[in-house]
Amino acid sequence: MLELRDVVKTYDGRAVVNRVSSEISPGEIFALLGPNGAGKTTLIRMITDILKPDSGTIRLDGRPVGGDEKRRIAYLPEERGLYRRAKVTELLSYYGALKGMAASAARDASRRLLERVGLADRADDQVQTLSKGMQQKLQLCTALIGDPGLLILDEPFSGLDPLNVQMLEEILHERSQAGVTVVLSTHQMNKVEELCDRALMINRGYMVLHGSVPEIRRQYSDHAVVVRASGRLEDLPGVRSVEPFNGDLKLTLEADATPDSVLRALVERRVVIESFSLATLPLEDIFVKVVREGLGLDQGRSERAAEVAPGAR
Amino acid sequence: MSFSWPRVLTIARREFLSTVRRKAFVFTLIGMPAYFAFVSWMAIKPQIAERLQALKSLTVLAVVDSSGLYHGARREIRTEYSPGDNPFSTTSGSPQVQWFRTEVHLYPDQKTATDSLKAGRVSQVLVIPPDYLATGKLRRYASQSGLFSSGADRPVTRWLVANLLADRVDSMRIERVVRPLHGLDFYAMNRQGQFELRDERREAFDFLLPMSFGLMLGLCIVIGGQYLLQGVSEEKESRILESLLCTVSAEELLGGKLIGLGGAGLTLVAVWMFMGASFGGPAAALAQIHLSPALFFFMLTYLLLGYLFYGSLMTGIGAVTNNMREAQQFAFMFTFANWAPFIMLTSIIGRPDGRLAVGLSLFPPTAPVTMMIRMSVPGGPAVPEWQVGLSMALLAAAAWFALIGSARVFRIGLLLHGKTPNLPEILRWARSG
Repeated sequence: MLELRDVVKTYDGRAVVNRVSSEISPGEIFALLGPNGAGKTTLIRMITDILKPDSGTIRLDGRPVGGDEKRRIAYLPEERGLYRRAKVTELLSYYGALKGMAASAARDASRRLLERVGLADRADDQVQTLSKGMQQKLQLCTALIGDPGLLILDEPFSGLDPLNVQMLEEILHERSQAGVTVVLSTHQMNKVEELCDRALMINRGYMVLHGSVPEIRRQYSDHAVVVRASGRLEDLPGVRSVEPFNGDLKLTLEADATPDSVLRALVERRVVIESFSLATLPLEDIFVKVVREGLGLDQGRSERAAEVAPGAR
Repeated sequence: MSFSWPRVLTIARREFLSTVRRKAFVFTLIGMPAYFAFVSWMAIKPQIAERLQALKSLTVLAVVDSSGLYHGARREIRTEYSPGDNPFSTTSGSPQVQWFRTEVHLYPDQKTATDSLKAGRVSQVLVIPPDYLATGKLRRYASQSGLFSSGADRPVTRWLVANLLADRVDSMRIERVVRPLHGLDFYAMNRQGQFELRDERREAFDFLLPMSFGLMLGLCIVIGGQYLLQGVSEEKESRILESLLCTVSAEELLGGKLIGLGGAGLTLVAVWMFMGASFGGPAAALAQIHLSPALFFFMLTYLLLGYLFYGSLMTGIGAVTNNMREAQQFAFMFTFANWAPFIMLTSIIGRPDGRLAVGLSLFPPTAPVTMMIRMSVPGGPAVPEWQVGLSMALLAAAAWFALIGSARVFRIGLLLHGKTPNLPEILRWARSG
């Protein structure tokens, strides 16, 4: 379990991370979201003990990350590099050794990882002879070697072709099922929706969204439902307007109406309903809305964000 | 995060191996001594060869004597050449003496003589004017002028003196007049207060030995520092550090780099010393130069402290700059301090216990090289113990502060990209815990 408690980091009197709190369970795939400059990298650097928080605590399985727990954390930064002249296996074994693995164990683990990502035939090649995509996969292997308990990946999909994206998704699921906590920082919201259980969004250092992905989407729905049905839908009680929506109909509700009351009204009118769902926004739209409108940045800030999804913690 | 020596050694091992496997390292390892050997050879060998060649080629000396002083002069010059004249010769025992014979042909006038020179019948022409005795002026003509054309001076001088005094002084006195210091044994007091025989060979080592030791130490410090600068700069530029810093602490990374790259520098010195001992050792032994084990101990100590001091600074510079070019510009001013003693080499060797030498050997940036020069001056005054102690203490303190400050700057600077911090910012980082 990764626990963040009121984590604060200040530069030149300006809080770049301000009272961020969360708990991330083993096996969870957790999204860390936010616009550029929001404080994500600073937060990640504090989790990886590269930077120290000014106040607050960060614990992994109950122990501060500053101790030997650090070896259980693996980080794939967004801007990454490798020793270009090193041989592939040598490089992986080096990272393995730094994580406390014996030489033979590191070599075996390297071989297995290279096989898993399809680079086994390049094991003895120099890193600089690999293509960009291959180097990307090798970077992933440097993070995975040593079986970390916490895996932090910053934009891991960038530069990968669809096949490799799929392979990476599989690996993340495998790790998650093995009990590894995965923190994924990305701007690809579709990947967050596909992969992540919960998300934390920060903006200008403050928590502005926090909770399970479906809850967040529900929270930011348009107070509308999307219905595929045959029958008369006009003048339904509690419905303000009806408009076509991607081949279906979007029913915008009156302020005092609920989806439940509208569903009851439809049933009472004997409308044949094929599908009925909340008109939620894609995560990407929520992201834009939250950042553009500065939601969560007014009074209350992080505390209020935590309230957005009370069941999230 | 607790400081882990196994992690430090893992980093050190990688740094060492990746450095010594580089072509540039191998080139430095072999190329540098080869370069110095070549330069030395170029400086010394032609002198000896030219001198020999001048003697060999002087087979016939045409003399136009208008003074009348040399009409009855001997028509032959015999010149002795000893390989012992070469201070770097490794030939021991009695030197094999070579003799060169020059015929002297008297010519009635300059034109006939120079015509013979042009025709290649004579090697050189010596014109002795009528007022030679009063003015000392005379002229010599040769078909070409070499770089060391004075090589033939010795036989000509000898012939002039010998024949000028022939009727007035006996042959032994003439010999002494020609070479009054030929049999000179010069004794100088050594560090133990005893008089020690010195010779040309020894004189050469007096200069070359301190210079070589100082140079070797300085090179090792600078090369080790450059490796660090390059390593940190490259890793920062290629963004390797962030993923590494997730697993290891900045202090472990710094420690590993210092040890690994210091090891690479020591390897260089060890190989160079071995090469130096192989090639220069016999000559030094012949010059009766005995280097005390203490000198090597101090060399190693100054090397480690100097490397720690400069290496820490270079690491800090690598961490705060954005690329290698920028790092080199900053590093230059520090590297210059390391070499500064060489600018004042003659003064330091001339007065190893003078104010300048003492001052430079106490000032941490110049201490390693200066002290090494002072300590290795053969026969020079012993460096007082208090100076060695104080110099080492100051250097160790400077190295410690540099290490601590660099570790702090390193930790913060590694993650900064794009903006080079100014000096107050760097000092603030260095002061912060």
